[in-house]
Amino acid sequence: MAVQSTETVGGARPVDRTTPPWRERLVPWVFRAPLIFMVIFFALPMAMTVVFSVFERTMFWMEPGFTLFSYENFFFSARLTNFLNSMKYSLISVAICFVFGFPIAVFVRKSIPQVAQHRVVLLFILPFMVSEIIRVFALRPVLQRNGLVNTTLMDLGIIDEPITALLYTHTGVVIGEVLSFLPFIVFSGFLAMEAVPKYIFEVCDDLGVGPWRRFKDVILPLAAPGIFAGSVFIFVNGLGVALLPNILGGAGAVNAGLIATQAITALDFPLAMAVSAIMMATLMTLLWIGHRLFDLTKILTPLS
Amino acid sequence: MTQIETQGTQQMTDSQAPAVEVRNLAKHYGDFVALQNVNVSIGAGEYFVLLGPSGGGKTTLLRTIGGFQKPTHGEVLLHGRSVGHLPPDKRPTSMVFQAYALFPHMSVEQNVGYGLKVAGLPRAQVAEKVAAALEQVGLTPFAARRPHELSGGQQQRVQLARAIVLDRDILLLDEPLAALDAQLRKDMCLELKHLQEKVGITFIHVTHNQEEAMTVADRIALIANGELVEFGRARDIYRAPEKTFTASFVGENNVLKGRVAEAAGSEIIVDVAGSRLQVDKRGLAVSDGQEVTLSIRSECVALDRVNGAETPADGFSITGAYDESVYLGLTTSHLVHLPDGTEMVSREIADSDERLPEAGSRVRLSWKPSDIRLHVE
Amino acid sequence: MNDYDNPWLHRLKWAYLLFVVLTLMTPVLYVMYVSFNANGFGANEYVFTLEWYGLIFSDELLIGALRWTLMLAVVVTVITVPMALLAAKHYKSAGNKIFPVFLLLAPLFVPPDILGSALLVSFKNLNIAFIWLGDQLGTAMFDGWFRLSFLTATIGLIIYTIPYSFVVILITMGRYRPEQTEAARACGANGWRAFWDIEFPQIRAGVFSACAFTVILVFNEYTRTSLLKGGFDTFTTVLISQMLNTGMSPQSYAMSAMVSFVAIAVIGSIILFTMIRAESLSRVARAKAAPVGS
Repeated sequence: MAVQSTETVGGARPVDRTTPPWRERLVPWVFRAPLIFMVIFFALPMAMTVVFSVFERTMFWMEPGFTLFSYENFFFSARLTNFLNSMKYSLISVAICFVFGFPIAVFVRKSIPQVAQHRVVLLFILPFMVSEIIRVFALRPVLQRNGLVNTTLMDLGIIDEPITALLYTHTGVVIGEVLSFLPFIVFSGFLAMEAVPKYIFEVCDDLGVGPWRRFKDVILPLAAPGIFAGSVFIFVNGLGVALLPNILGGAGAVNAGLIATQAITALDFPLAMAVSAIMMATLMTLLWIGHRLFDLTKILTPLS
Repeated sequence: MTQIETQGTQQMTDSQAPAVEVRNLAKHYGDFVALQNVNVSIGAGEYFVLLGPSGGGKTTLLRTIGGFQKPTHGEVLLHGRSVGHLPPDKRPTSMVFQAYALFPHMSVEQNVGYGLKVAGLPRAQVAEKVAAALEQVGLTPFAARRPHELSGGQQQRVQLARAIVLDRDILLLDEPLAALDAQLRKDMCLELKHLQEKVGITFIHVTHNQEEAMTVADRIALIANGELVEFGRARDIYRAPEKTFTASFVGENNVLKGRVAEAAGSEIIVDVAGSRLQVDKRGLAVSDGQEVTLSIRSECVALDRVNGAETPADGFSITGAYDESVYLGLTTSHLVHLPDGTEMVSREIADSDERLPEAGSRVRLSWKPSDIRLHVE
Repeated sequence: MNDYDNPWLHRLKWAYLLFVVLTLMTPVLYVMYVSFNANGFGANEYVFTLEWYGLIFSDELLIGALRWTLMLAVVVTVITVPMALLAAKHYKSAGNKIFPVFLLLAPLFVPPDILGSALLVSFKNLNIAFIWLGDQLGTAMFDGWFRLSFLTATIGLIIYTIPYSFVVILITMGRYRPEQTEAARACGANGWRAFWDIEFPQIRAGVFSACAFTVILVFNEYTRTSLLKGGFDTFTTVLISQMLNTGMSPQSYAMSAMVSFVAIAVIGSIILFTMIRAESLSRVARAKAAPVGS
C-alpha cells in the first residue's frame, strides 16, 4: 500500500476492503441501541403501570387479576382531595416561576452578548450542585418560626409576630417548589427564546410597540411551545416530587408522589401503580393538548 | 505516468473508459424526484461543469458521483468500474465543498495532510507533499494558521490543496466559489482553470453562475428540474443552444414563442406576434401549425427607429413599442415589447450619446439570419 | 444591550438575575456555612472550624456510602454518556425525529417518585418472571438478575440522566458542520475515523459536560436511588436516614458542602472553558467581519 501510495494515494485504494454486509446491517442497530434500552426499561415499565394497577393486592405483593379497587381507593377517599389540592398549588408554583423566571430568559436573550448567554444560563444550574433533598431540608431552618426569614423581617421591623404559615403548610410547599423548579423555566424559556430572533426587538422598537404588547403579541406566541414544556415540567414535578410536601408540608399537603411512595411503604403495590398510571395519564394529556395547541416539535428546532 | 491497471487509475492516456460515466441515474427523496434518467460521460482530464438553477439536481448528481448519496436507480462508473456500493473514502474522487468544510481544530498544514495521514504515509513524505500542494495554491506562508484566521478565498484554496494532495484523478467541486465576492470569484475561476491544466486530472465543478461556468469549463452540462437538459462545449452551449431551456438560462437570449407557418424547405417561416420570421430548420422535424420557440441573443439584436413609413418585412426583423433603457456600464439594454406583450431586449455597447426613443414609440428590431435559432423542445 | 437602553435599568436587571441565583443558592450556602461551625447545626454560637472536614473520613458509614455512590456514578456515566452520544447521532440522521426525542426526553417529565415506583414494581415482576423461567428450564442461571441491586439502581439512574446528557451533547453538536465529516470521508477516512478525528474533538466539551452533569446528578439523586438500590447505601440515603432519625452529623454537612465545592469547581471550569472557546469564536467572527480578500 505504502509503496503504491508514492504514485497515487487516492486512486490506488484497494476496492475489495469494504465492510462485510452483516456489519453494515448491524451499524444502524448500534445507533438504535439507546432507544431500544429506553423502550424496554422506561416506556414499557411506564405502560405496565396500567396493567399492574388492576392486579389484586396480596399481603406482601400482588397477583394477576382484574379489580378497580385501587382506583376506588384513590378516587373515593381523601386522596383525591389531596391530589386536586396539590394540583392547585402546583399551578400556583408554575405561575410564580413563570413570573419570576421567564423575564430572566428574555433578558439573557435580548440584552446579553451571544457568546456570554450560555454562561449566564449556566449560573442557574449552580443550585443543583447540592442534592435536592439537602436543599429542601435546609429550607426548614430558613423558613421556621425563628428562622432566617422571620428573624430578618422582625429585625427590620416589618413584622411584629413571626409568620408561622411559611413552613408545614401549603405555602411552604409552594416556596419549596418555586426554589426547586425556577431554574427550569429559565432553561426552557431560554431555549424557547431561540424562536424569537433578536431583530424582533429592533422591529418592535421601530414600530413603536411597547414592552407589554411586544410580550403579548410577539414573544409569547413564538416562545409558547418552550414555555408550555417548562410549565408542564414544573406542574408535573409539583405533583410528583414526594419530598417537598414530606419535608415542608403540613396536614393535607399530600401529592401524587407521596401517595405512591406511601403505598410502596405500605406494600400496597397496586395502589402505587394506579397513582403512577394516573400521573402518566395526566402528563400525556397535557403533552397532547400542548402538541395540539402549539406543535411541541418546534421546541426541537434549536436542537436540530 | 505509471499505470496501475487493476486499481482503476488509468490516467488520461486511456481513451477506452471515460473517467466518469453515469447511466440512467435517478435519485428520489420520498415522492420528490431530485434526479431522473441522467446519462453523461466525462472524459479523463476534462474540466466539466454542471450548470443549472438552484435546486435543479446538479449537486445531487455530484454527490452521487462522490458517494455521499446512494442513487435510487442507475449506476455510476468511475474508469469503467461500477462504484455504486462504495462509500466516498473508497472512491478515486476527492471533493471541495462550498464552505465550512475545513477542520477548524487543525492548522492549514494538518488539514491538507489529513488525507495522507489517513492513508498511512510516513510523516516526512506527508510534509513534503503538503508543502508542494500549499505551494501550488500559493498558501505556503499560511501553513501554520488555523482556518478561522484565513479569508474566504484562502479557505477555499486550503480545500483545494487538501483535495489535490491526494493525487486522485477526479476532483469534485461543489459550488466552490459561491461564498466569495464577485471579484475574488473571477480571480479564483482562472486559478482553478490553470490548476486543472497543470495537474491534468478530471475536474467536475457544480455552479449556478454561468460566467463562472464559461470561464472554467471544457464542457458544460445543463441540469434543471432533475434532468440533464443539454451538454456540450461551453462555446456551443452559449452560441448554439439546442433546447429552449438552455437558450433561456444561458446568456441573455430573447425567447420568442411562435407557430410554424411554412414548414417546407430548409428555411421555415414562423409566425411570431403577427410577424413572419425566417429561421434555419437545422434538420429538425417540424410541421405546419406546430408551436415552436425561437431564440436570439440580445447582443445580436439591433434597434432602429421606425420613422413614418413601414419598412417591408424581410423575415429577420420585428417591430414593437419601446419601453425603456437600462444602463449597465459596459452595455445598455433596450427593452421593447411586441404587440402580443412579449418582452424583447436589444443589448449594445454603451456610450452612444444618441437620444433614446420615446417610451411607446415604434421601433424595429433586426438581426442577421444566422443569429436566430429554432427550438422544438 | 442597545446603545439607547438605560444603563441603570440594564444593571438593575442584572442585579435581579444575580439576586434570583443567590436566593436559589441560599440552601447551598447555608449548608456550607454550617459545615464550618464547630458547634454544628442549629447552635447559637458560631465558631469557625475545619474539624468536620478532617473527620469526614472517620465516619465509616459515610465512607462506605461514598464508595458505593462513586461506583454508581462512574458506572452510570460510563454507560449513559456513550448512549446519549449514540442517541444524538441517531437523532441527527433519523427521518422521524419525534419518536427518539420523545423517548429520550420523556424521563425529564416523569417525577422521581413515579418513575421510581414504576421501575421498582417492574423489576420485582421481571425478577419473578426470570426465576419462573429458570425453574421451567431447570436452571438457576436467571435468578436474581433483576433483584434490587446495583444493576437495578444503575438502570434507573441511566434513565434519569440520559435526557440531560442527550440535550447537552445535542446542543454542542448543533455547532458542528456535517460538511466536515463529508470532507474527511472524501479525504479517505472511514466513518469511524472521521468521527474520532474530526467530529469528536469539536464536541468534546459537550461530552465532558455531559459526564460532569451525570456524575453530579447521580451523586445528588435520592428518590430513584433509594427505591431501586439493593442492600447498600449511597451518600444521599445515608444523609436522609440521619436527618430522619438522629439529625445529620456535622461530618455530613462537611461532606455535602465538599461535594458542592467540587461540583461548583467543575461547573466553574466548564464556564471558564466555554469562555476560552467563546474568545476563539469571537476571533472567528472578527476574521469573518474583515473584508474578504486573498
